[in-house]
Amino acid sequence: MPSVIKEFTKGLWDELPPFRVVLGLCPTLAVTSTAENGLGMGAAVLFVLTLSNAIISALRKIIPGKVRIACFIVIAASLVVAVELLMQAYTYSLYQRLGIFVPLIVVNCIILGRAEAFASRNGVIPSIADGLGMGLGFTMSLTFLGALRETLGNGTVFGIPVPWEAFRPAHLMVMAPGAFICLGLILAGMNAFNRHMSRRKGEIPTEPKNAACASCAACNLCATARKEN
Amino acid sequence: MREIINMIVVLSLICAASGTLLVNLKQATKARIEQQVLLNVQGPTLMAVLKGCDNDPIADRKKVGDVTLFPARKDGKLSGVALEAFAAGYSGDIGVIVGFDVNEDKLIGIGVTTQTETPGVGTRIMQQGFLKQFRGHSLDGLDLSSRGGDIDSVSGATYSSTGAVDAVRKALETYRRIKPQIATLWAS
Repeated sequence: MPSVIKEFTKGLWDELPPFRVVLGLCPTLAVTSTAENGLGMGAAVLFVLTLSNAIISALRKIIPGKVRIACFIVIAASLVVAVELLMQAYTYSLYQRLGIFVPLIVVNCIILGRAEAFASRNGVIPSIADGLGMGLGFTMSLTFLGALRETLGNGTVFGIPVPWEAFRPAHLMVMAPGAFICLGLILAGMNAFNRHMSRRKGEIPTEPKNAACASCAACNLCATARKEN
Repeated sequence: MREIINMIVVLSLICAASGTLLVNLKQATKARIEQQVLLNVQGPTLMAVLKGCDNDPIADRKKVGDVTLFPARKDGKLSGVALEAFAAGYSGDIGVIVGFDVNEDKLIGIGVTTQTETPGVGTRIMQQGFLKQFRGHSLDGLDLSSRGGDIDSVSGATYSSTGAVDAVRKALETYRRIKPQIATLWAS
């Protein structure tokens, strides 16, 4: 049980997909012009990620190694089409705003990354916990980034005006450059916070320990390089 | 050999399962998606064109051949119908909803549903200055003034204006063709 909780919570801070591992940046930057869009996109990814992790880990023993990527993509793509249909049927205006980025969830690094690095090597329950944690972390990150950009760029959060009389919204923030600026500020803030915490614990502040290596199983270059050193 | 067969069988089974799931889901959501598309894409324009009616034109819609007709009722009596038609504009098709008054045989008005015209130039066909020319227009003589009619095109946006007028004329032809059936369609 403790390991399940660990798998769930790692996605919420230590391996927070867009801000710590810096994965899945395409939707992170593109759809977060408002908090609501970020939340909708995050929820779609949460759904697909949890289910794909569950299905892949349930099938991991019968999927032959050589065609595993093809199988993962088929499963993720089916789930994404299912989400797209459900969105069209029940939340059409959200579907209109997210547009092409809903089908693009298929090629989101997080989905395939978690399938390859986690779900194909672990049981169903830990995989679901991993998917839920990662998906929830992704949803929170996107909602936060969306809320930040909406506040700075439009003066509203979830469509409600910010009670801040002297504030003049900078329209730049809801456009593409604003996404990069906000993302950079958040990354810097999180790094500063982590350094501060490790200094308080008396550790030497280093680069983020987890970086991308924990979730990136696609390449062994870093691991080999580290061994050689 | 065994390995190859195993790979083919597993991948095919997964594909077949997801195919089955999606076909069923598609069928289950089809009616609702159609409703949502009508409500969100055509809906706002449709309601602006048929304003003042006391029914729900989308819920009461009926198909004649491949044309979808939206009825407008006032005090329980059929007062008008609206239908959508498309024609090529400057870039891509322009979709126009045209409302017809069935009692007096004239246009109620038009509204643009879908277009990909140049912002600020071609998109001026969506402004009232252009659209109001169609309000209450009779079924005859509806054409651009450059082609002998009495509709003034938006200056600088000849292609877009032509596209919009072509779409209205298409809707007009359809209306003339199905006019005899209209009265019996909603006879209840």
